[in-house]
Amino acid sequence: MYRVFYYAQRDLLRWIRAPLNVVSTLAMPAAWLIFVGLALPTRFTDNYLDFITPGILVLTMLSAGLSGGSSLMFDKILGYLNKFLAMPSPRESILFGKILFITSRGLIQTTIILLIAILIGATIQPIYVYPITYLILFLFGILISSFGTTIALYIGEHDTYAAVSTFISMPLFFTSSALMPYSEMPDWLNVCAHLNPISYAIDAVRSVGAGTFPVFEMAFLLSASFVMVLISVVIFRKITVR
Amino acid sequence: MDGIITNALTKNYGSLCAVDSLTLKAENEIYGLLGPNGSGKTTTVRMLTTLLSATSGSAEVCGYDIAKEKSQVRSCISYVPQDMAVDIRLTGRENVDLFAKLYGIRDKAERKRIVADALEVVNLTDRADSMTKTYSGGMKRRLELAQALVHQPQVLFLDEPTIGLDVASRRTIWEHITKLKKSGMTILVTTHQMEEAERYCNKVGIIRRGKLIKEGAPAFLKADLKKEIITVKSDGNLPQSLPEGVTFIETNESGFIFSADKGSNVLPELTAAFEAEKSHVIYSSVREPNLEDVYMQSCGDDRGDNIPFDDRQFRNLMTRR
Repeated sequence: MYRVFYYAQRDLLRWIRAPLNVVSTLAMPAAWLIFVGLALPTRFTDNYLDFITPGILVLTMLSAGLSGGSSLMFDKILGYLNKFLAMPSPRESILFGKILFITSRGLIQTTIILLIAILIGATIQPIYVYPITYLILFLFGILISSFGTTIALYIGEHDTYAAVSTFISMPLFFTSSALMPYSEMPDWLNVCAHLNPISYAIDAVRSVGAGTFPVFEMAFLLSASFVMVLISVVIFRKITVR
Repeated sequence: MDGIITNALTKNYGSLCAVDSLTLKAENEIYGLLGPNGSGKTTTVRMLTTLLSATSGSAEVCGYDIAKEKSQVRSCISYVPQDMAVDIRLTGRENVDLFAKLYGIRDKAERKRIVADALEVVNLTDRADSMTKTYSGGMKRRLELAQALVHQPQVLFLDEPTIGLDVASRRTIWEHITKLKKSGMTILVTTHQMEEAERYCNKVGIIRRGKLIKEGAPAFLKADLKKEIITVKSDGNLPQSLPEGVTFIETNESGFIFSADKGSNVLPELTAAFEAEKSHVIYSSVREPNLEDVYMQSCGDDRGDNIPFDDRQFRNLMTRR
């Protein structure tokens, strides 16, 4: 399975060497943080930035996961995948390498967003909060990157996937607990937010910040990512081994 | 057997038969698979490289069954697809090093030596540390060859290796391929370049609508044609009736192309046939056949991309390719 790291290393190297790609994917979460986090007048909290930061961290991972989903599809379209598939290494290592790359990239991006949040006034949390937050974001990253990769591989056309990705990401974000607490939501949104997998990741990060370990949310993220990776493997095998 | 052997290898996509009972054999030679677009060349290569499973029939590569011993097959082959797929944001050395790692060469010093050797074989040592985006098309193709050589494969599959390259780069690629064959490798090449196939391949197979319709050494296939090629440039149309023993092959930019046992003998009659229909013969010539003539006589005007099939089938086919 060491090849998983080689595949991930390849993608990370390609990504780091394209500075525009690194900056562009950070633009939207940073804008949310600055323009909404700092500017939105709210009644339920004195520090909206602290409230919205977990949501933006998860949004960063969501965007990174969905945009990274097209990576394996592009490898297929551009001919890399066939070269990799003709190698003796286990074929699933290509898929796992891709999921690892997208998640690692997402973690790098969330770190930058977290630093920006602290710079513009978010409260610095006790040190134990951060490793658990990273674990939550890692699990969520695995879930969303395997989801994005599978959908993209299944669709097989980059313009259609871009449309699907936009179609998915914004409604998921707006119907989650990212922007307001459940108590402030209208009933219909409350129901949607409770069903939304994004909310589980956001609530988990908030719980850690509030000093409790989010057992239920973590269990959900762990099992959801496990199931999603399994589905990815099945679809990957179906698409690549005919 | 170290090379490739197929027995009635068949691949169907629904009602479309892409490869139809293909039986061929190649060992320590450059085997050129020729055929129109959509004739089944790439599908054949993908079955032999275990990227596609066959509908029926069997094949062995390096003595391993492509259906039952996929991993062993992949250990002894390399595949260079027609898309030029090298990572442009990695250097040439990094590109080759990645493949060496993926092929399981974990010892750093050994890998360094193997990568340097592979780059040396394809004459890329001088530019090995430049970003691949600065490489020309020919250099990228040579880099792909270097990637394919890191684990010293016994069989090399090259899908249209010279497509889109200039004359000098094409020649360089073929020189490398010839060198590899001399080192004992079996190389299966798909190509549309008849002159190249004639010059460099030890054996060619002409495939049409999934069927292997001719196979042999280029010289043998040409001799087998036993006909001369007549070219007639005229200001009129093709005559309604042709002299006995003359077969019309095609119309191209040179004029009307015919074949006949003794071209020089029938040329006056052929000229008369044109003039009988008030056409003026501007130019005519007779020459020995080449591989392209063999190909044209075998495939005629068959263009695979003209064969109609429904959109869904096309989409499925492209997804699988």
